[in-house]
Amino acid sequence: MQFFEKIPSKIDNMPKLIATLLKKLEVVSFKEDEILDIRLCLEEAIINAIKHGNRMNPDLFVEVQMNVSDQELCIQIRNEGEGFDFKELPNPTIDKNLTKPSGRGVFLIKKLMDEVEFFDKGRGIKMVKFLNKEAGNEHKTGKTRR
Amino acid sequence: MNIKQEKQDDKIIFTLDGEINISTSPQLRKAFNATIEDGLKKVLVDFSGVSYIDSSGLATFIEILQRLKKAGGRLHLSNMNEKVKNVFEITKLIKLFNIYDNNQEAITNF
Repeated sequence: MQFFEKIPSKIDNMPKLIATLLKKLEVVSFKEDEILDIRLCLEEAIINAIKHGNRMNPDLFVEVQMNVSDQELCIQIRNEGEGFDFKELPNPTIDKNLTKPSGRGVFLIKKLMDEVEFFDKGRGIKMVKFLNKEAGNEHKTGKTRR
Repeated sequence: MNIKQEKQDDKIIFTLDGEINISTSPQLRKAFNATIEDGLKKVLVDFSGVSYIDSSGLATFIEILQRLKKAGGRLHLSNMNEKVKNVFEITKLIKLFNIYDNNQEAITNF
């Protein structure tokens, strides 16, 4: 199954897109709590793309591509902003950052998805959730894994 | 998001019903800020009707906690379902917040 959508950078556009993406996932055998994790990651990544990537500029778009195979769900979200240095993201769980209100979106995504990588100078994020965890363990890559 | 408020002596209990996300967080922030401005310092938030929280929801609670602390107040959270509590756990925010299994326990510990 493949899905592609492009939305202008407005938060108001997000709920309908999320609903569409989750509807597409109904055919996949994820557990209910995994669907909630995927939903959280989708929302965090799309909000980041709109707010931090495209800086809420409605003339810039956010692209969402979703592919489902027998082995995995792969979601790529890309914005049209300037990108960012994804290697310099602060750890929000260390004491000095714990009281900072922001900076937890990517951290949550990394914790809840099986593989996460950035591309196109940080404009894009690729998130993978394995349908069969054992199959996922066969792929030893250098990417961020849970 | 439905927000019910109940004053009990020197405490206020917020019972939340719905999702805490980027769309509902401003409503929540407004309700909490009004409480702080009213001078109520013991705030309990009952999460029993909360099915979902995202990072903007977490940010709202961190802001409220900081405002309350500055005003000499306390914030207790209770009745989280497993999924919501897991978000607080993986972000290590359980170290920052006082989280209780039920309202009675949360009230006793004020």
